[in-house]
Amino acid sequence: MTVLVFISKRLGSLLVVLFFLTLLVFTLGKVADSDPVRTYVGVNASAESVEAAREELGLDNPIPVQFGSFVVGAVQGDFGISLSSKRPIADELATRLPATLELAGWALALTVVIGVSLASLYSRPGRLGAFMRFVFFSAASAPSFLIAMLSVLVFYKWLGGALPAAGRSSYGPYDDATGFYVLDGMLHGSPTYTWDAIQHLLLPAFAAAVGSGVALARVLADGIASSLRSPWARTARALGEREGTVLRRHALRNASSPALSLLAVQAGFMVSSLVVVEQVFSWNGLGSYLSGAIGVGDFPAIAAVCLILGAVYVILNTLVDVALAAVDPRVRLS
Amino acid sequence: MAESTVLTVSDLTVTYRGRGRTVAAVKDVTLSIAAGRCLGLVGESGSGKSTIGAAVQGIIPADGSAHATGGISIAGRDLVPITDQAWSQVRGRDVTSVFQDPMRSLDPTMTIGRMLNRYTGSAEASVAALERVQIRRAGDVLKKYPHQLSGGMRQRVMIALALAPQPLLLVADEPTTALDVSVQAEVLSVLRESIEGAGCAVLFVTHDLGVARHMCDEIAVMKDGVVVETGSAEQVIGEPADDYTQRLMASRITLATDRARPVGAPEPAVVASMQDMLDDLGRPDDAVASAWAAGELLWNRFTGPTAAVGAASGLSDVRLVEHVTRPSLTVNEVDKTYTARVRGRKVGNHVLKNVSFEIGYREAVALVGESGSGKSTLLRIAAGIETPDSGSVDSQGVAGEGTQVIFQDAGASLTPWRTVEELLRERIEHTTTGKGLSRAEMRAMALRTLELVGLDESVLGARPTQLSGGQQQRVAIARAVVVPPSVLLCDEPTSALDVSVACSVLNLINLLRHSLGISVMFVTHDLAAARLIADRVLVMTGGEIVETVGAADLAQDITTDYGRRLVDAVLA
Repeated sequence: MTVLVFISKRLGSLLVVLFFLTLLVFTLGKVADSDPVRTYVGVNASAESVEAAREELGLDNPIPVQFGSFVVGAVQGDFGISLSSKRPIADELATRLPATLELAGWALALTVVIGVSLASLYSRPGRLGAFMRFVFFSAASAPSFLIAMLSVLVFYKWLGGALPAAGRSSYGPYDDATGFYVLDGMLHGSPTYTWDAIQHLLLPAFAAAVGSGVALARVLADGIASSLRSPWARTARALGEREGTVLRRHALRNASSPALSLLAVQAGFMVSSLVVVEQVFSWNGLGSYLSGAIGVGDFPAIAAVCLILGAVYVILNTLVDVALAAVDPRVRLS
Repeated sequence: MAESTVLTVSDLTVTYRGRGRTVAAVKDVTLSIAAGRCLGLVGESGSGKSTIGAAVQGIIPADGSAHATGGISIAGRDLVPITDQAWSQVRGRDVTSVFQDPMRSLDPTMTIGRMLNRYTGSAEASVAALERVQIRRAGDVLKKYPHQLSGGMRQRVMIALALAPQPLLLVADEPTTALDVSVQAEVLSVLRESIEGAGCAVLFVTHDLGVARHMCDEIAVMKDGVVVETGSAEQVIGEPADDYTQRLMASRITLATDRARPVGAPEPAVVASMQDMLDDLGRPDDAVASAWAAGELLWNRFTGPTAAVGAASGLSDVRLVEHVTRPSLTVNEVDKTYTARVRGRKVGNHVLKNVSFEIGYREAVALVGESGSGKSTLLRIAAGIETPDSGSVDSQGVAGEGTQVIFQDAGASLTPWRTVEELLRERIEHTTTGKGLSRAEMRAMALRTLELVGLDESVLGARPTQLSGGQQQRVAIARAVVVPPSVLLCDEPTSALDVSVACSVLNLINLLRHSLGISVMFVTHDLAAARLIADRVLVMTGGEIVETVGAADLAQDITTDYGRRLVDAVLA
């Protein structure tokens, strides 16, 4: 029951966050030194067509009215028209949001995989552990675009296209699709399509996950080490539990709450690192859309992406808080 | 008789290797315990008693730094050399244990039921196990997490856990040291009855001879890794043969301890440095110091000055009058309620109910009560760490600057990456006395204070983790008094310390209060310690002061039911 109350409270605060985010993005658009109408009609357009476009975009209205209609539109899922592509932004988002969410989901999953496996290597003193630590630390200290390009070099160029390095699929989307290609492939019962989508996901997800995975590993390894030294671990041993059981039954769970907190932060950063990664892998997601929109000053598009990323961030954090409370009963949801 | 011997330890030696040195924590120890008997292993920190407790469970550190030779056999099974295979057959079946810290010895993420069911086999058996340790409404307790239980309840759960596998040997390592005195008595009696019911042998590790006498059939006294005396409990306690045992007995604080006799006179160096300090404070030194040493300097606002003060200290009449009229600490109708949200509803916890009292110049007042009585909140309010909802606290005494606190866990109260000199300097710099002093002057001040608290120059450069528990508490005290406060607030400063160290810390606080003119507010759950340090004892329960009593004849003078309960809880 408390979980439901907590989630609904968080969703309430989500609305507040989104409102101020909208206000911020809208204001930025107004004070920026670029004329959206010019972006829309092009530099060589006549004065009449500029005026006509201004009216068409609603930019001749007073600013509060513009803001109002922007908010009303956004609530209905209508983010207006992209100034550069002249298509409704909502249509763009419909294909790009699943692309980014799919990539982010896989990257987070890989983060956990890297984090957990590396954390278990940490506790093993030995050549392999030391070597893996070295490799991953080097990887974590490199910016994600470098990882991205290196992995393209290794897996695509040197290994003769072992893994695809561009796009989301060799086949293109299905007609009635969720936009999550792996899921689509499974829904349509096509192992080929699914496997192809997974292959496309691996490199970009890995590039986005390395840094956060190593960070997670450190926190997790520290947590496990201190859990294993704790008095209750000693109690478990005194009651005859073997080391493996102490680790599984007691240490992992106690070590996972700081790791979860970190994961929440990493999830937020993940979205921003995807902006770069998507560029490198020609991934048609929100990130590449955003960087394209920033380049031409397409403010309605920028605003829409910011709002969606903000919402994703708040929702992710809410989920992590619920998970934290589930893992550690001393954490009260408040 | 031989059949019933459960534990035999013969010529056990345990060495630790570290930093190129090898230290023998236990040397050639030989012990045995028969079924149904309880052997007390008594000694101070570092005596090796806990190492033996760990060794007979096979849980001495597995990182290769510890090495055991000699024999341990449990129910006829030889366990040295210690191999994991051998121990995995024994640990948790034939041997289990109860540890000191009930707060952290239970996995915080598991319900009691989930922990207990694993060893009892079923929820019904778990309920029965909890009922055996006198937990009522055991079904509800099974659903709770450790943090939802009190310390005493947690320790009962620990006992139930330890006895669930029906072990032949139970190792109890300081099982009640972290508990309130009155809770300790309850838990000890629960432990005693459970053990009698289970019929197992018990190795009872403790630093407290009183607890050992209460619990054990036989007692082995340890010092520096060696058993110095073994015998029946009555014999060891009643007619201790060994020097060390006698000293350990003498340093115990009970309600009968002679208050007039400072336990262990201050060392000459301490007296000398005290006189230096009195010089600095512009007070005539010799007279005050000797008056203190003679026990004549018992002055406070409530008992009135003895002749010694006026004559010996040479304080002017004016200041004396000032002292009389102006307490060092005035707590005036302080009220405090903590509110928490439980399932969306606000729940208030009225921790302090209109509390008023005063502490006179150079007077020591003890606040005694159990956990939850509000005494620690009161201390935090007096220290300015928390603000009262209503009422006021005034600590503008005649002498000294403000209030300073010393805490139970001295180690945790000292910033770990600072050296002792830096810690003291930090305090000096924050006082008006310390304004404009040079590094060298502050260093000299720090040094004098360290000598005053019985430490020397060698600790100036040390960091807290390099010091023993007693040394840490002395450093904490030095930091508090390097610029004398008007009131020294002590939050259970001795309850985590060995008895002999605790005594010397109590003496030290007493010495400082007389020599530096500091008033003391001493918060404790231990009536015996309170009686030793304080002039007056305030008994607190439920956020109120229910009784104020002179310390000297405390045991006779206490009249309230609650106070009597506290008196009875002090183990004779």
